[in-house]
Amino acid sequence: MTSVDRSQPPRIPPARPVPFPAFRKKRLESGVTLYAVEAKRTPLVIAQVLMPGGGHYDPVHRRGLAAFTADLLEEGTHEHSSTEIADLVESIGGSLTTGAGWNAASATVSLLSVHAERGLQLLIEVCSQPAFDAAEVERLRRERLADILRRLDQPATLARAAFSRAVYGDSVYGSLLVGGEGSIRALQREEIVRFFENHSAVADTFVLVVGDTTELELEDTLDATFARRSKTPPALPQIHPRQLDSREIVIVNRPDAAQTELCIGHASAPHNHSDRTILTVMNTLLGGKFTSRINLNLRERNGFTYGASTGFAPRLGPGPFVASTAVANDVAGAAAGEILAEIERLREEEASEEELSDTVSYLQGVFAYGLQTHAGVLHRLHSLAVFDLPDDYYDTYLAGLPAITTEEIQRVAQEHLCPDQSVIVAVGPVAELQPQLEGLGELSVVEPASLLL
Amino acid sequence: MLELPALEIERHELGNGLRVVLHRDDSLPLVAVNLWYHAGSKNERPGKTGFAHLFEHMLFQGSVNVPDNDHFRLVQQVGGVANGSTWYDRTNYFETLPAGSLELALWLESDRMGFLLPAMTQEKLDKQREVVINERRQRVDNQPYGRASERLNELLFPDQHPYGWPVIGYMEDIEAATLDDVRTFFSTYYAPNNAVLTLAGDFDPGKALDLVQSYFGGFPAAPDAPAVERVANVRSGDPCETLEDAIQLSRSYIAYRIPPFGKPAWYAADLLAAVLTGGKASRLYRDLVYERELAQSIVAHALPTEMEGSFHIVATAKPDVAIEELESEVLLHIANIAESGPSDDELARAKNKILTAHFNELQTLDRRADLLSLFTTYFDAPEDLHKEAIILQSIQLRDVQDVAQTYLVKSQRARLRVVAKGAAG
Repeated sequence: MTSVDRSQPPRIPPARPVPFPAFRKKRLESGVTLYAVEAKRTPLVIAQVLMPGGGHYDPVHRRGLAAFTADLLEEGTHEHSSTEIADLVESIGGSLTTGAGWNAASATVSLLSVHAERGLQLLIEVCSQPAFDAAEVERLRRERLADILRRLDQPATLARAAFSRAVYGDSVYGSLLVGGEGSIRALQREEIVRFFENHSAVADTFVLVVGDTTELELEDTLDATFARRSKTPPALPQIHPRQLDSREIVIVNRPDAAQTELCIGHASAPHNHSDRTILTVMNTLLGGKFTSRINLNLRERNGFTYGASTGFAPRLGPGPFVASTAVANDVAGAAAGEILAEIERLREEEASEEELSDTVSYLQGVFAYGLQTHAGVLHRLHSLAVFDLPDDYYDTYLAGLPAITTEEIQRVAQEHLCPDQSVIVAVGPVAELQPQLEGLGELSVVEPASLLL
Repeated sequence: MLELPALEIERHELGNGLRVVLHRDDSLPLVAVNLWYHAGSKNERPGKTGFAHLFEHMLFQGSVNVPDNDHFRLVQQVGGVANGSTWYDRTNYFETLPAGSLELALWLESDRMGFLLPAMTQEKLDKQREVVINERRQRVDNQPYGRASERLNELLFPDQHPYGWPVIGYMEDIEAATLDDVRTFFSTYYAPNNAVLTLAGDFDPGKALDLVQSYFGGFPAAPDAPAVERVANVRSGDPCETLEDAIQLSRSYIAYRIPPFGKPAWYAADLLAAVLTGGKASRLYRDLVYERELAQSIVAHALPTEMEGSFHIVATAKPDVAIEELESEVLLHIANIAESGPSDDELARAKNKILTAHFNELQTLDRRADLLSLFTTYFDAPEDLHKEAIILQSIQLRDVQDVAQTYLVKSQRARLRVVAKGAAG
């Protein structure tokens, strides 16, 4: 047994970054672009169809239409009913889900590779010939209304709803993806059919596949079964956040809350900004890992919370930057103050070299960690497709990380973080919160029920 | 039958009783390090609940050679991810790092196994107590239906049964925990002979074993930790309670005591859960959610606990559906399946679902390492990791029906209903 010197950490060689796996990319005759990663380590396949019909296309009086339309794709086609689809997929131990985020609508199938061909056929079927059966529309409507009602129970959801509304006002990012009571009650089947035709059954459709696909005639299957998609998707709407000259505080009153949910932030740049990699590093240092400034401050130093984090939402439009945490009611003001102070500090002083290099190593490691699963690899392909990123994007990203400087971190913090024009949302008992927060900016109080609409 | 991938697994034991499992996989230059201590909330006592979990937090606060909070800092600095978790039967600590950092993880884990107490202070305890209090509020007290599971367990495992109190502990016990309590827990349970260390990933097994020996081999074994006696003949008397909460949709909880994890009947119960609510084609989803729209959602699962298992069905009602009605529909389904068992199609579907989930889970090194630690801790057999898939495939219709007939019965049962405030008549 070799004796070891425990008095300090063992010397560790620097890890070599793990590259993104090689992938095949091909634009097919049908107008669909295929990304495929051959991965045989495990007998699983995951495949995803991405269509442009994301939530940013929701019409002003129909918030939630994109998500509603996408959720219906798995509820019946011209060939198979909702129950038949579920029976087919689940009898082979697979799962098939459809839905929409802000940037795109998607359908994903995940199953054992021995069943991959069946899974792929069903996947393409739900994306090409959904039936939008009237009874299914009504069933989903009832389910959705009950879900919207439950928002009243969920402090974190109330916080996000109030935050989005305060930051984006009436523009589409001001609502939640699932919409509100009014729009879901009013939406009609014809609108769903039209939305699908104009936003999903269009060119700029992608198919992503990760797994053992040697038995699949991927390209032939996609060419043969996907209808020709020539219609181009509509232009992205202009999304205008509210213009804020100073801080605004919104308290969502929950008198019996055991804790306060805080959301602090503002609108930020679209994901495809040239500063994106530097912003990723900056965010991780500020609030994107356990040892980030904000988490160590609020949790470990002050004991205000179980966890605090920051993030830039990856959107095609001007998505939000938001710091979030759940804190004891009597320290909400102090916690908000600490978050603002950490943001200020990052703008005013350069970070240390050690802090920066620790953050870069962490990001390199996390990248590798995510490559262990097919779903993790698919998630990376998804970004390439949705944001129209170059094929060597991840190589460039990994190579560029160590080259980032502390000056650049400070510069992007100054250019992209606006603590003085932020929205601060607090969900909790107004009697306790108002005195703590009113000094931070212009304050208003809303009732949770107003956030269901 | 699907062929299961062969995993390279070696099992060793150091002189002090530390069991070491090595699983080599060099697909990616990563290594997962996983340590199970065979101690959890079941080892606590009423009035002193939540200690195992509070203690898990203390493990990250530094040890003699590892400065405060440096565990996360050092792991993240080399590009790793780390965490821990507490459960009824065990506490685990794990990190996945670049392959070249294996020794760092062994240094960190061994330092806190061997040299934690001298670095523990009242100040650290007070700080982590605050964090845990916030955790309890965030996960339980401020969540809709947050306290329901706690109450349900009190009903299902009454009379000071070790599974009757929540893993996170009751607020008053967390607030009252002393440094001595924490020190005693550590000395009793955090010993090499009460632990399993698993390494999974890209490493040389011979060199790794040498390192493990160097870092852990010098610690003395401790006297065997007091065993928690399995409680025989638990009687709950078929309780049914109603709780009020700030919620919009009422919810029904039905739970049963079943044989412990690892028994054939437990696996049959796992299959039963998949038959009942595993997916949109499942019996309860199809009938209660899709066709009759009595439930917004419904989930059944078998809890893999060591002394004895439990089986839970949680059904959330649609607006304007009386919770008594939903509960009685669920009970009717249980009676039906006890009487006639599942169909061939239902059984095949449930097996396929679980098999796919099994492969999904095995994709990551840390899940594999955790399962290897689990099977070594409970059964001294890491290779049983694959036995699960084999057992599942061999279960017959009759086995699933037997579980329902024998264990999903009134004498094994507890029920809870959560309704909106003011609604409890």
